[in-house]
Amino acid sequence: MRAVFAVCAAAAVAFLALPVVAIFLRVPPGALVAQLTEPAARDALLVSLKTNAIAQALVLGIGTPAAYVLATNRFRGRSLVLTLVELPLVLPPAVAGIGLLAAFGRLGLLGSSLSTFGISLPFTQTAVTMAVAYVASPLYIRQAIAAFEATDPNLAAASRTLGAGPFRTFFRVVLPLARGGLIAGLALSFARGLGEFGATIMFAGSLQKVTQTLPLAIYAQFNLPEGFNAALAMGGALVVFSIVLLAGLHIGLSWQRSDSNRSVSLFGLSTSS
Amino acid sequence: MKLTALAVLAATHLNVFGAASLAEVLPRFDRTARYQFAGSDQLAFQIGEGAPADLFVAASPKYPQELYAQRRCSKPVTFATNTVVLVVPRANPARIQSVYDLRRDGIRLVVGAKGVPIGDYTRRLLAKLGLTSVLSNVVSEEDDVKLVVAKVALGEADAGFVYRTDVRRVGNRVLRIALPAAAQPTVAYDACVPAASKRQAAARSYLRRLLGPAGRAALRRAGFGVP
Repeated sequence: MRAVFAVCAAAAVAFLALPVVAIFLRVPPGALVAQLTEPAARDALLVSLKTNAIAQALVLGIGTPAAYVLATNRFRGRSLVLTLVELPLVLPPAVAGIGLLAAFGRLGLLGSSLSTFGISLPFTQTAVTMAVAYVASPLYIRQAIAAFEATDPNLAAASRTLGAGPFRTFFRVVLPLARGGLIAGLALSFARGLGEFGATIMFAGSLQKVTQTLPLAIYAQFNLPEGFNAALAMGGALVVFSIVLLAGLHIGLSWQRSDSNRSVSLFGLSTSS
Repeated sequence: MKLTALAVLAATHLNVFGAASLAEVLPRFDRTARYQFAGSDQLAFQIGEGAPADLFVAASPKYPQELYAQRRCSKPVTFATNTVVLVVPRANPARIQSVYDLRRDGIRLVVGAKGVPIGDYTRRLLAKLGLTSVLSNVVSEEDDVKLVVAKVALGEADAGFVYRTDVRRVGNRVLRIALPAAAQPTVAYDACVPAASKRQAAARSYLRRLLGPAGRAALRRAGFGVP
Protein backbone atom coordinates (compact mmCIF):
# COMPACT_ATOMS: atom_id res chain seq x y z
CA MET A 1 0.00 0.00 0.00
CA ARG A 2 2.84 2.36 0.84
CA ALA A 3 4.29 1.82 -2.63
CA VAL A 4 0.97 2.72 -4.29
CA PHE A 5 0.68 5.90 -2.23
CA ALA A 6 4.26 6.82 -3.01
CA VAL A 7 3.63 6.37 -6.73
CA CYS A 8 0.54 8.59 -6.48
CA ALA A 9 2.53 11.24 -4.64
CA ALA A 10 5.32 11.10 -7.23
CA ALA A 11 2.79 11.31 -10.09
CA ALA A 12 1.03 14.30 -8.51
CA VAL A 13 4.28 16.20 -7.90
CA ALA A 14 5.60 15.41 -11.38
CA PHE A 15 2.33 16.47 -13.03
CA LEU A 16 2.24 19.77 -11.14
CA ALA A 17 5.93 20.55 -11.56
CA LEU A 18 6.46 19.50 -15.18
CA PRO A 19 4.82 22.47 -16.98
CA VAL A 20 6.80 24.85 -14.76
CA VAL A 21 10.04 23.01 -15.44
CA ALA A 22 9.22 22.98 -19.16
CA ILE A 23 8.95 26.78 -19.22
CA PHE A 24 12.49 27.10 -17.95
CA LEU A 25 13.86 24.35 -20.19
CA ARG A 26 12.40 25.80 -23.38
CA VAL A 27 14.12 29.17 -23.03
CA PRO A 28 17.62 29.50 -21.56
CA PRO A 29 17.84 31.64 -18.39
CA GLY A 30 19.91 34.34 -20.12
CA ALA A 31 17.22 34.77 -22.79
CA LEU A 32 14.53 34.81 -20.10
CA VAL A 33 16.19 37.77 -18.40
CA ALA A 34 16.85 39.52 -21.72
CA GLN A 35 13.21 39.15 -22.76
CA LEU A 36 12.09 40.74 -19.51
CA THR A 37 13.87 44.00 -20.35
CA GLU A 38 11.75 44.31 -23.53
CA PRO A 39 9.37 47.28 -23.21
CA ALA A 40 6.19 45.17 -23.43
CA ALA A 41 7.35 42.89 -20.60
CA ARG A 42 8.66 45.73 -18.45
CA ASP A 43 5.47 47.76 -18.87
CA ALA A 44 3.32 44.74 -18.05
CA LEU A 45 5.37 44.01 -14.93
CA LEU A 46 4.96 47.60 -13.75
CA VAL A 47 1.20 47.62 -14.41
CA SER A 48 0.86 44.30 -12.59
CA LEU A 49 2.86 45.42 -9.56
CA LYS A 50 1.11 48.77 -9.29
CA THR A 51 -2.46 47.52 -9.63
CA ASN A 52 -1.82 44.53 -7.35
CA ALA A 53 -0.15 46.63 -4.66
CA ILE A 54 -3.11 49.03 -4.57
CA ALA A 55 -5.63 46.20 -4.70
CA GLN A 56 -3.98 44.29 -1.86
CA ALA A 57 -3.64 47.43 0.27
CA LEU A 58 -7.40 47.91 -0.11
CA VAL A 59 -8.07 44.24 0.57
CA LEU A 60 -5.99 44.45 3.75
CA GLY A 61 -7.39 47.78 4.91
CA ILE A 62 -11.07 47.05 4.26
CA GLY A 63 -11.05 43.26 4.34
CA THR A 64 -9.52 42.91 7.80
CA PRO A 65 -12.18 44.83 9.76
CA ALA A 66 -14.86 43.29 7.56
CA ALA A 67 -13.59 39.79 8.33
CA TYR A 68 -13.42 40.63 12.05
CA VAL A 69 -17.03 41.79 12.09
CA LEU A 70 -18.15 38.64 10.27
CA ALA A 71 -16.07 36.41 12.54
CA THR A 72 -17.23 37.84 15.86
CA ASN A 73 -20.92 38.46 15.19
CA ARG A 74 -23.74 35.99 14.84
CA PHE A 75 -26.75 37.39 13.04
CA ARG A 76 -29.58 36.27 10.82
CA GLY A 77 -28.45 35.71 7.28
CA ARG A 78 -24.80 35.40 8.28
CA SER A 79 -24.29 32.29 6.17
CA LEU A 80 -25.85 34.09 3.22
CA VAL A 81 -23.39 36.94 3.68
CA LEU A 82 -20.49 34.49 3.94
CA THR A 83 -21.64 32.75 0.76
CA LEU A 84 -21.84 36.08 -1.07
CA VAL A 85 -18.33 36.96 0.07
CA GLU A 86 -16.97 33.64 -1.14
CA LEU A 87 -18.90 33.59 -4.40
CA PRO A 88 -16.21 35.25 -6.56
CA LEU A 89 -13.94 32.32 -5.68
CA VAL A 90 -16.08 29.85 -7.57
CA LEU A 91 -17.24 32.16 -10.37
CA PRO A 92 -15.45 31.64 -13.67
CA PRO A 93 -13.36 34.80 -14.23
CA ALA A 94 -15.32 35.52 -17.40
CA VAL A 95 -18.51 35.72 -15.33
CA ALA A 96 -16.73 38.03 -12.90
CA GLY A 97 -15.80 40.21 -15.87
CA ILE A 98 -19.37 40.33 -17.18
CA GLY A 99 -20.60 41.13 -13.68
CA LEU A 100 -18.14 43.98 -13.26
CA LEU A 101 -19.21 45.39 -16.64
CA ALA A 102 -22.88 45.04 -15.76
CA ALA A 103 -22.28 46.86 -12.47
CA PHE A 104 -19.59 49.42 -13.28
CA GLY A 105 -19.58 49.55 -17.08
CA ARG A 106 -20.60 52.71 -18.87
CA LEU A 107 -24.20 51.49 -19.15
CA GLY A 108 -23.98 49.47 -15.94
CA LEU A 109 -25.97 49.57 -12.73
CA LEU A 110 -23.69 52.07 -10.98
CA GLY A 111 -21.65 52.95 -14.01
CA SER A 112 -24.39 55.04 -15.60
CA SER A 113 -24.68 57.22 -12.49
CA LEU A 114 -20.90 57.40 -12.23
CA SER A 115 -20.70 58.66 -15.79
CA THR A 116 -22.97 61.60 -14.95
CA PHE A 117 -20.10 62.67 -12.67
CA GLY A 118 -17.69 62.20 -15.54
CA ILE A 119 -16.25 59.03 -14.03
CA SER A 120 -15.71 56.16 -16.42
CA LEU A 121 -14.11 52.98 -15.13
CA PRO A 122 -13.73 50.52 -18.05
CA PHE A 123 -10.32 50.58 -19.81
CA THR A 124 -8.62 52.29 -16.83
CA GLN A 125 -6.06 51.11 -14.29
CA THR A 126 -8.77 51.53 -11.67
CA ALA A 127 -10.72 48.85 -13.54
CA VAL A 128 -7.72 46.51 -13.39
CA THR A 129 -7.37 47.14 -9.66
CA MET A 130 -11.08 46.46 -9.17
CA ALA A 131 -10.93 43.22 -11.15
CA VAL A 132 -7.95 42.07 -9.10
CA ALA A 133 -9.61 43.00 -5.81
CA TYR A 134 -12.85 41.34 -6.87
CA VAL A 135 -11.36 37.94 -7.64
CA ALA A 136 -8.62 37.94 -5.01
CA SER A 137 -10.12 39.50 -1.88
CA PRO A 138 -12.43 36.56 -1.02
CA LEU A 139 -9.32 34.42 -0.50
CA TYR A 140 -8.06 36.88 2.11
CA ILE A 141 -11.40 37.56 3.77
CA ARG A 142 -12.22 33.86 4.06
CA GLN A 143 -8.85 33.09 5.61
CA ALA A 144 -9.08 36.13 7.90
CA ILE A 145 -12.52 35.09 9.16
CA ALA A 146 -11.16 31.63 9.98
CA ALA A 147 -8.14 33.15 11.70
CA PHE A 148 -10.26 35.52 13.81
CA GLU A 149 -12.67 32.72 14.71
CA ALA A 150 -9.75 30.61 15.88
CA THR A 151 -8.57 33.24 18.37
CA ASP A 152 -9.66 32.66 21.95
CA PRO A 153 -12.38 35.21 22.78
CA ASN A 154 -11.38 34.97 26.47
CA LEU A 155 -8.08 36.65 25.63
CA ALA A 156 -9.82 39.63 24.08
CA ALA A 157 -12.22 39.72 27.03
CA ALA A 158 -9.32 39.60 29.47
CA SER A 159 -7.66 42.46 27.63
CA ARG A 160 -10.84 44.53 27.96
CA THR A 161 -11.19 43.78 31.72
CA LEU A 162 -7.56 44.80 32.17
CA GLY A 163 -8.51 48.21 30.86
CA ALA A 164 -7.54 48.14 27.19
CA GLY A 165 -10.04 49.79 24.82
CA PRO A 166 -11.57 47.92 21.86
CA PHE A 167 -9.10 49.37 19.39
CA ARG A 168 -6.11 48.61 21.61
CA THR A 169 -7.43 45.08 22.18
CA PHE A 170 -7.90 44.55 18.45
CA PHE A 171 -4.46 45.78 17.49
CA ARG A 172 -2.47 44.36 20.43
CA VAL A 173 -4.24 41.08 21.10
CA VAL A 174 -6.52 39.91 18.31
CA LEU A 175 -4.35 40.91 15.35
CA PRO A 176 -1.15 39.31 16.69
CA LEU A 177 -3.08 36.14 17.48
CA ALA A 178 -4.56 35.95 13.99
CA ARG A 179 -1.40 37.08 12.27
CA GLY A 180 -0.48 33.71 10.75
CA GLY A 181 -3.83 33.24 9.08
CA LEU A 182 -3.93 36.83 7.85
CA ILE A 183 -0.48 36.57 6.25
CA ALA A 184 -1.39 33.28 4.60
CA GLY A 185 -4.64 34.78 3.28
CA LEU A 186 -2.90 37.86 1.92
CA ALA A 187 -0.25 35.77 0.18
CA LEU A 188 -2.91 33.64 -1.51
CA SER A 189 -4.89 36.73 -2.45
CA PHE A 190 -1.76 38.35 -3.89
CA ALA A 191 -0.88 35.24 -5.89
CA ARG A 192 -4.41 35.00 -7.27
CA GLY A 193 -4.47 38.71 -8.08
CA LEU A 194 -1.17 38.57 -9.99
CA GLY A 195 -2.55 35.81 -12.17
CA GLU A 196 -5.90 37.54 -12.82
CA PHE A 197 -6.82 37.38 -16.50
CA GLY A 198 -10.45 36.84 -17.47
CA ALA A 199 -12.16 39.57 -15.51
CA THR A 200 -9.43 42.05 -16.44
CA ILE A 201 -9.57 41.46 -20.20
CA MET A 202 -13.36 41.90 -20.17
CA PHE A 203 -13.67 44.83 -17.79
CA ALA A 204 -10.41 46.72 -18.32
CA GLY A 205 -9.35 45.62 -21.80
CA SER A 206 -5.71 45.29 -22.72
CA LEU A 207 -3.43 48.21 -23.54
CA GLN A 208 0.30 48.33 -23.01
CA LYS A 209 1.41 50.63 -20.17
CA VAL A 210 -2.21 51.18 -19.07
CA THR A 211 -4.19 48.02 -18.47
CA GLN A 212 -2.00 45.25 -19.86
CA THR A 213 -0.92 43.18 -16.87
CA LEU A 214 1.59 40.31 -17.08
CA PRO A 215 -1.00 37.59 -17.79
CA LEU A 216 -2.61 39.76 -20.49
CA ALA A 217 0.79 40.52 -22.01
CA ILE A 218 1.62 36.80 -22.03
CA TYR A 219 -1.59 36.12 -23.93
CA ALA A 220 -0.98 38.99 -26.36
CA GLN A 221 2.61 37.89 -27.01
CA PHE A 222 1.32 34.41 -27.72
CA ASN A 223 -0.52 35.97 -30.68
CA LEU A 224 2.61 37.51 -32.19
CA PRO A 225 4.67 35.54 -34.75
CA GLU A 226 7.87 35.52 -32.65
CA GLY A 227 6.14 36.12 -29.35
CA PHE A 228 6.27 32.65 -27.86
CA ASN A 229 9.69 33.21 -26.26
CA ALA A 230 8.58 36.52 -24.78
CA ALA A 231 5.46 34.82 -23.46
CA LEU A 232 7.63 32.12 -21.91
CA ALA A 233 9.93 34.70 -20.33
CA MET A 234 7.04 36.59 -18.75
CA GLY A 235 5.53 33.31 -17.65
CA GLY A 236 8.87 32.45 -16.07
CA ALA A 237 8.89 35.77 -14.21
CA LEU A 238 5.42 35.09 -12.82
CA VAL A 239 6.50 31.60 -11.77
CA VAL A 240 9.61 32.89 -9.99
CA PHE A 241 7.57 35.53 -8.22
CA SER A 242 4.94 33.00 -7.13
CA ILE A 243 7.61 30.59 -5.86
CA VAL A 244 9.19 33.37 -3.78
CA LEU A 245 5.77 34.29 -2.41
CA LEU A 246 4.80 30.71 -1.53
CA ALA A 247 8.20 29.80 -0.10
CA GLY A 248 8.17 33.02 1.94
CA LEU A 249 4.74 32.08 3.19
CA HIS A 250 5.85 28.61 4.30
CA ILE A 251 8.97 29.97 6.00
CA GLY A 252 7.05 32.85 7.57
CA LEU A 253 4.36 30.56 8.95
CA SER A 254 6.79 28.10 10.51
CA TRP A 255 8.59 31.06 12.07
CA GLN A 256 5.27 32.42 13.27
CA ARG A 257 4.34 29.14 15.01
CA SER A 258 7.50 29.12 17.13
CA ASP A 259 7.10 32.84 17.75
CA SER A 260 3.46 33.03 18.74
CA ASN A 261 4.15 32.82 22.47
CA ARG A 262 6.39 35.84 22.40
CA SER A 263 4.03 38.13 20.52
CA VAL A 264 1.22 37.73 22.99
CA SER A 265 3.35 37.48 26.09
CA LEU A 266 3.86 41.20 25.62
CA PHE A 267 0.49 41.41 27.17
CA GLY A 268 1.27 38.99 29.94
CA LEU A 269 -0.95 36.30 28.45
CA SER A 270 -0.11 33.00 26.87
CA THR A 271 -1.76 31.44 23.86
CA SER A 272 -0.32 28.01 24.50
CA SER A 273 -2.66 27.35 27.38
CA MET B 1 -22.53 -3.18 -30.76
CA LYS B 2 -23.73 0.29 -30.05
CA LEU B 3 -20.35 1.20 -28.61
CA THR B 4 -18.44 0.16 -31.71
CA ALA B 5 -20.82 2.16 -33.86
CA LEU B 6 -20.15 5.18 -31.67
CA ALA B 7 -16.41 4.60 -31.89
CA VAL B 8 -16.59 4.47 -35.68
CA LEU B 9 -18.67 7.66 -35.70
CA ALA B 10 -16.14 9.37 -33.45
CA ALA B 11 -13.32 8.27 -35.69
CA THR B 12 -15.03 9.70 -38.76
CA HIS B 13 -15.66 13.07 -37.12
CA LEU B 14 -13.64 15.72 -38.83
CA ASN B 15 -11.79 18.11 -36.50
CA VAL B 16 -12.13 21.55 -38.07
CA PHE B 17 -10.04 24.38 -36.60
CA GLY B 18 -11.83 27.55 -37.64
CA ALA B 19 -11.21 31.28 -37.26
CA ALA B 20 -13.44 32.95 -34.65
CA SER B 21 -15.27 34.90 -37.36
CA LEU B 22 -16.46 31.61 -38.92
CA ALA B 23 -18.08 30.37 -35.71
CA GLU B 24 -21.62 30.87 -37.03
CA VAL B 25 -21.39 29.93 -40.66
CA LEU B 26 -19.35 26.70 -40.59
CA PRO B 27 -21.59 24.68 -38.22
CA ARG B 28 -24.58 25.76 -40.28
CA PHE B 29 -22.85 24.62 -43.44
CA ASP B 30 -21.85 21.22 -41.99
CA ARG B 31 -23.03 20.16 -38.57
CA THR B 32 -21.35 16.74 -38.54
CA ALA B 33 -17.80 18.06 -38.17
CA ARG B 34 -16.34 18.91 -34.80
CA TYR B 35 -15.31 22.54 -34.53
CA GLN B 36 -12.83 24.50 -32.53
CA PHE B 37 -13.02 28.25 -32.99
CA ALA B 38 -10.32 30.70 -31.90
CA GLY B 39 -8.01 33.35 -33.34
CA SER B 40 -6.34 32.05 -36.53
CA ASP B 41 -2.92 32.76 -35.06
CA GLN B 42 -3.63 30.64 -31.99
CA LEU B 43 -5.02 27.81 -34.09
CA ALA B 44 -1.93 27.93 -36.31
CA PHE B 45 0.24 27.76 -33.21
CA GLN B 46 -1.72 24.82 -31.87
CA ILE B 47 -1.47 22.99 -35.19
CA GLY B 48 2.27 23.68 -35.22
CA GLU B 49 2.46 22.14 -31.75
CA GLY B 50 0.68 19.01 -32.94
CA ALA B 51 -3.01 19.62 -32.20
CA PRO B 52 -5.18 17.05 -34.04
CA ALA B 53 -6.67 19.28 -36.74
CA ASP B 54 -7.99 17.79 -39.96
CA LEU B 55 -8.77 21.10 -41.57
CA PHE B 56 -7.52 24.61 -40.86
CA VAL B 57 -9.97 27.31 -41.92
CA ALA B 58 -8.27 30.64 -41.22
CA ALA B 59 -9.29 34.30 -41.40
CA SER B 60 -6.18 35.21 -43.33
CA PRO B 61 -3.84 33.64 -45.86
CA LYS B 62 -0.86 34.36 -43.59
CA TYR B 63 -1.04 31.41 -41.20
CA PRO B 64 -1.99 28.69 -43.70
CA GLN B 65 0.83 29.98 -45.95
CA GLU B 66 3.28 29.78 -43.05
CA LEU B 67 2.25 26.21 -42.30
CA TYR B 68 2.45 25.40 -46.02
CA ALA B 69 5.97 26.84 -46.19
CA GLN B 70 6.93 24.49 -43.34
CA ARG B 71 5.28 21.59 -45.23
CA ARG B 72 2.84 21.16 -42.36
CA CYS B 73 -0.27 21.58 -44.50
CA SER B 74 -1.53 21.36 -48.08
CA LYS B 75 -1.44 24.31 -50.49
CA PRO B 76 -3.88 26.92 -49.09
CA VAL B 77 -6.95 27.86 -51.11
CA THR B 78 -8.98 31.05 -50.74
CA PHE B 79 -12.64 30.23 -50.07
CA ALA B 80 -14.10 33.54 -48.85
CA THR B 81 -13.47 37.24 -48.56
CA ASN B 82 -14.59 39.80 -46.02
CA THR B 83 -14.46 43.54 -45.51
CA VAL B 84 -13.46 45.68 -42.56
CA VAL B 85 -16.14 47.96 -41.15
CA LEU B 86 -16.27 50.60 -38.45
CA VAL B 87 -18.98 50.06 -35.85
CA VAL B 88 -20.28 52.28 -33.06
CA PRO B 89 -22.84 51.51 -30.34
CA ARG B 90 -26.39 52.14 -31.55
CA ALA B 91 -26.69 55.15 -29.21
CA ASN B 92 -23.45 56.46 -30.75
CA PRO B 93 -22.28 58.26 -27.58
CA ALA B 94 -19.32 59.90 -29.32
CA ARG B 95 -21.49 60.98 -32.30
CA ILE B 96 -19.18 59.48 -34.89
CA GLN B 97 -20.36 60.13 -38.47
CA SER B 98 -17.26 59.10 -40.40
CA VAL B 99 -13.94 57.41 -39.86
CA TYR B 100 -12.34 60.86 -39.74
CA ASP B 101 -14.22 61.63 -36.51
CA LEU B 102 -11.96 59.10 -34.82
CA ARG B 103 -9.28 61.80 -34.75
CA ARG B 104 -11.16 63.71 -32.05
CA ASP B 105 -9.57 63.58 -28.60
CA GLY B 106 -11.20 61.38 -26.02
CA ILE B 107 -12.77 58.88 -28.42
CA ARG B 108 -12.60 55.41 -26.95
CA LEU B 109 -11.48 53.24 -29.83
CA VAL B 110 -11.04 49.48 -29.54
CA VAL B 111 -9.00 47.56 -32.12
CA GLY B 112 -7.50 44.11 -32.57
CA ALA B 113 -3.95 43.69 -31.29
CA LYS B 114 -0.99 43.51 -33.68
CA GLY B 115 -0.56 40.00 -35.02
CA VAL B 116 -4.29 39.27 -34.81
CA PRO B 117 -5.70 39.42 -38.38
CA ILE B 118 -8.34 42.09 -37.66
CA GLY B 119 -5.69 44.14 -35.85
CA ASP B 120 -3.32 43.99 -38.81
CA TYR B 121 -6.09 44.78 -41.33
CA THR B 122 -7.21 47.73 -39.19
CA ARG B 123 -3.70 49.17 -39.13
CA ARG B 124 -3.32 48.68 -42.89
CA LEU B 125 -6.65 50.42 -43.52
CA LEU B 126 -5.80 53.36 -41.25
CA ALA B 127 -2.40 53.69 -42.93
CA LYS B 128 -4.07 53.91 -46.37
CA LEU B 129 -6.38 56.64 -45.04
CA GLY B 130 -3.45 58.49 -43.46
CA LEU B 131 -5.17 58.09 -40.11
CA THR B 132 -2.57 56.20 -38.07
CA SER B 133 -2.75 59.05 -35.55
CA VAL B 134 -6.17 57.80 -34.40
CA LEU B 135 -4.37 54.86 -32.81
CA SER B 136 -3.57 57.23 -29.93
CA ASN B 137 -7.29 57.01 -29.08
CA VAL B 138 -7.09 53.24 -28.65
CA VAL B 139 -8.16 52.23 -25.15
CA SER B 140 -7.80 48.49 -25.66
CA GLU B 141 -6.09 46.11 -28.08
CA GLU B 142 -8.12 42.94 -28.12
CA ASP B 143 -6.85 39.45 -28.82
CA ASP B 144 -9.64 38.49 -31.17
CA VAL B 145 -12.36 40.15 -33.20
CA LYS B 146 -15.20 38.90 -30.97
CA LEU B 147 -13.79 40.86 -28.03
CA VAL B 148 -13.82 44.02 -30.15
CA VAL B 149 -17.42 43.36 -31.19
CA ALA B 150 -18.46 42.72 -27.57
CA LYS B 151 -16.94 45.94 -26.25
CA VAL B 152 -18.70 48.04 -28.89
CA ALA B 153 -22.02 46.16 -28.62
CA LEU B 154 -21.95 46.62 -24.82
CA GLY B 155 -21.49 50.34 -25.33
CA GLU B 156 -18.20 50.41 -23.42
CA ALA B 157 -16.20 51.50 -26.45
CA ASP B 158 -17.14 54.42 -28.72
CA ALA B 159 -16.02 52.65 -31.86
CA GLY B 160 -14.22 49.58 -33.13
CA PHE B 161 -13.04 47.97 -36.35
CA VAL B 162 -14.50 44.54 -37.07
CA TYR B 163 -15.47 42.39 -40.06
CA ARG B 164 -18.70 43.04 -41.94
CA THR B 165 -19.87 39.53 -41.06
CA ASP B 166 -19.66 40.34 -37.34
CA VAL B 167 -22.20 43.15 -37.65
CA ARG B 168 -25.04 40.85 -38.65
CA ARG B 169 -24.94 39.10 -35.29
CA VAL B 170 -25.19 42.30 -33.23
CA GLY B 171 -26.95 44.41 -35.84
CA ASN B 172 -29.57 45.69 -33.42
CA ARG B 173 -26.96 47.02 -31.01
CA VAL B 174 -24.44 48.67 -33.31
CA LEU B 175 -24.39 51.08 -36.25
CA ARG B 176 -22.13 50.61 -39.20
CA ILE B 177 -20.13 53.58 -40.45
CA ALA B 178 -19.17 53.44 -44.11
CA LEU B 179 -15.48 53.30 -44.96
CA PRO B 180 -13.90 54.55 -48.20
CA ALA B 181 -13.80 51.50 -50.48
CA ALA B 182 -10.35 52.38 -51.80
CA ALA B 183 -8.88 51.91 -48.34
CA GLN B 184 -10.22 48.37 -47.93
CA PRO B 185 -7.51 45.80 -47.37
CA THR B 186 -7.93 42.42 -49.08
CA VAL B 187 -9.35 40.14 -46.41
CA ALA B 188 -9.04 36.63 -47.76
CA TYR B 189 -9.94 33.45 -45.90
CA ASP B 190 -7.65 30.55 -46.68
CA ALA B 191 -8.03 26.89 -45.77
CA CYS B 192 -5.58 24.00 -45.87
CA VAL B 193 -5.39 20.37 -44.76
CA PRO B 194 -2.72 19.79 -42.10
CA ALA B 195 -0.18 17.18 -43.17
CA ALA B 196 -0.56 15.36 -39.86
CA SER B 197 -4.29 14.77 -40.35
CA LYS B 198 -5.32 11.13 -40.54
CA ARG B 199 -8.53 11.99 -42.39
CA GLN B 200 -7.07 13.55 -45.52
CA ALA B 201 -9.82 12.33 -47.85
CA ALA B 202 -12.67 13.52 -45.61
CA ALA B 203 -10.94 16.87 -45.09
CA ARG B 204 -10.51 17.34 -48.85
CA SER B 205 -14.14 16.50 -49.43
CA TYR B 206 -15.24 19.06 -46.80
CA LEU B 207 -13.05 21.67 -48.48
CA ARG B 208 -14.46 20.81 -51.93
CA ARG B 209 -17.99 21.25 -50.65
CA LEU B 210 -17.03 24.55 -49.00
CA LEU B 211 -15.69 25.77 -52.35
CA GLY B 212 -18.73 24.41 -54.19
CA PRO B 213 -22.29 25.75 -54.51
CA ALA B 214 -23.43 24.72 -50.99
CA GLY B 215 -20.45 26.35 -49.32
CA ARG B 216 -20.66 29.49 -51.42
CA ALA B 217 -24.36 29.89 -50.65
CA ALA B 218 -23.80 29.47 -46.90
CA LEU B 219 -20.91 31.91 -46.93
CA ARG B 220 -22.88 34.50 -48.92
CA ARG B 221 -25.85 34.20 -46.55
CA ALA B 222 -23.48 34.92 -43.66
CA GLY B 223 -22.27 38.08 -45.38
CA PHE B 224 -18.97 36.83 -46.78
CA GLY B 225 -17.78 37.47 -50.28
CA VAL B 226 -16.81 34.44 -52.34
CA PRO B 227 -13.89 34.39 -54.78
